[in-house]
Amino acid sequence: MADKLSSKAASVDRESKIVDPTKGVPEPKYDWRGLTNEWGVRVIPGPHGLRLGDINVGSYGEVPDYWQDQTRRPRGSVGRPGIPPLPYSLRSKHELWAECSADLYEEAIQRRWIPATEVPWDSLKTLPDDIEKAVCQMCTELSQSANTELEIITYWQDRMSYGYFEVKQYLATATFDCARQLEALRKRALSNGGGLGIESRGRVNRIILESSGGWTEAVVYLYLLRGTYITRLLTGLLSAAHNEAEAFIYSHMLEDHARHLTYGYDHLEYASTHHDDASLIMGTLLAVGEAHMAAELKEGVVSSAMAIIFGGGIKGARTHGMERYLVLVRDFINDYLAICRTLGIDREKSLHPVFKRYLEG
Amino acid sequence: MSEATEMPREHEIDTSWMDNMAEWGITAKPGKRGLTLADVQVGSYGDLPKVSDNMTGRPRGSTARPEAYRVGAYQVHTLSEIWLENAEYLYEEALQRQWSSATDIPWHTLKPLPDDVEEAECLLCTFFNEVEFVAGDVPARWIARTTPDYLEARNVLSAQVMDEARHMDVFRKRALANGGGLMRMSGATSGFVGSIDLARDFTEMSTRLHISGEGAVLTMFRMGELFGQNDAEKTMYRLCAQDEARHVAFGVMHLRCLGETAPERREEIECYLDEAEAQLMAGQQNPAGRQSESSEALAVLLGGGSEYYDEGHKKLLVIRRRQLKEYMKRVISAGFADRFENGRSPVPAQYAATA
Repeated sequence: MADKLSSKAASVDRESKIVDPTKGVPEPKYDWRGLTNEWGVRVIPGPHGLRLGDINVGSYGEVPDYWQDQTRRPRGSVGRPGIPPLPYSLRSKHELWAECSADLYEEAIQRRWIPATEVPWDSLKTLPDDIEKAVCQMCTELSQSANTELEIITYWQDRMSYGYFEVKQYLATATFDCARQLEALRKRALSNGGGLGIESRGRVNRIILESSGGWTEAVVYLYLLRGTYITRLLTGLLSAAHNEAEAFIYSHMLEDHARHLTYGYDHLEYASTHHDDASLIMGTLLAVGEAHMAAELKEGVVSSAMAIIFGGGIKGARTHGMERYLVLVRDFINDYLAICRTLGIDREKSLHPVFKRYLEG
Repeated sequence: MSEATEMPREHEIDTSWMDNMAEWGITAKPGKRGLTLADVQVGSYGDLPKVSDNMTGRPRGSTARPEAYRVGAYQVHTLSEIWLENAEYLYEEALQRQWSSATDIPWHTLKPLPDDVEEAECLLCTFFNEVEFVAGDVPARWIARTTPDYLEARNVLSAQVMDEARHMDVFRKRALANGGGLMRMSGATSGFVGSIDLARDFTEMSTRLHISGEGAVLTMFRMGELFGQNDAEKTMYRLCAQDEARHVAFGVMHLRCLGETAPERREEIECYLDEAEAQLMAGQQNPAGRQSESSEALAVLLGGGSEYYDEGHKKLLVIRRRQLKEYMKRVISAGFADRFENGRSPVPAQYAATA
């Protein structure tokens, strides 16, 4: 193919070009013509348009286990010798890959939402002070979690090599999701007679942000441990939403978050099945992480705020509100253990004692 | 700590945090454009610290806890380093103007092109596939380094990361959808000193990325009507231009803000502009620049085939002229007009030479 194209290029009448660049049109060199690894690709859009996964055809769809190239060479394009490297440190597929990345990328784009104009803000009605405080405290907590997610993703994003661009593309959507969540939660806290609450002490935020050994380690804490809990919190908040605005925000955050967890779990599965030591490392990290998570669960701010929301006020929080929150935590731990089992990580036997107590009720 | 009666002690309701809420009684109201980020900049929540002491990642305006971990080693923590006046509007606009390369491009309008034209388009797409994610990778890195007290600016950068992902994606799709393929990379975005990647200061990075780099690309995208061969390509360039205009606006407004609030940095900025201008027409990063392969491809596209290269090249000169003119307008708007009047900048002479 390359030869064919080169000969076509050579057939261009170069004699007719003016060579002196100061006088007119410079002679084109056309030394780029014909330089392709694969030509003749014609991907046809399907019923859902032309999706990222659709164009993974021929050599363009070959995702290698190790990506040697430290430049921004698009996968499948022709390289150029002598290009100085960039500091891409994640170059093994098992360090970041998830099969679902391209699909999640397109889904995120289709499911975008706009807090300013799509949330029915006029449905907000004045709430009793204790409930408004609880809602605003949860907005503060969830904002800080979203901020941690945003910061850890953007810390790793530019270290991921181009051989795995689908993951980078998907994480770009996750970055935007996090920014939108920060925005939506702030708007909710500041639009119904309340305000922001007190910041989190940040025990789990800290372990996520300090997991600098690799992206997979960050994913263990960000999605498997904390993300699984956040899903339950959002589900709980949605079930107890006080108005359409809150219901809209929580349901859309859940949609976003579901994609994030799908990537996270899928990546951990890929890592654990393609890297010998991965499951054991994850198990070690989780033993440490559970202790921090347990300490955060016991701190009482989130549990009390959720109990107040579930109980319809402080009085109800002391009875059925807290009971409902404890069920939420139990459900989270059961989810967490189920995913660990899927990943081949045995956490049941050495589960943190506080987690065990929540399970026992 | 309040008394619990029905629950075990460890599950008592703690209401002490209720006495530590931040400013209370805020009721931001939606305006004509909904409830925007600007609308919630009320009371103390709208106060932007000139120097941020927020090292814990707390939302701006929330109550600080003395025992919180200092997990945010934020390099960018002074307002002048990153701020711009219209961040909240750029962010809201980005949300409103998101688009999908899968479904918003009329892919069915692609028709087989002559080999030389298809090759030229594919070379350009390879170039953009490569460079667009510089503009994704680099802003992402700076989000993690910036205090959340400047959330509006960070949110604009998050939107840019999303935009650039979509650009990378749409150009890859185009290259693989019409009988062509990817071609040879340019290497224009590698780690040379003075490149966008290696800047260790946000404003230095923004000057290179937003003002000169994306500025040149924006002019080109705006001319997409001229070199797009079908509605799919014209739509692609038009939508990319719309996004790129926001990114350039970020850079212009930030530079203006910095020039006004940190005058001691003006000479430093002039030096970044000196470097950028030396590369404006000569560097590989401008797809219409004199040294780039992509400018040959552009001339082929503008002419409608390699046999009309001369005509295409004349149109390319119009693009270059427009790039120079628009670059000067941006720098003037950013408050650095002097350089075009005092002879420091070579751009006015370059512009005059293209007349």
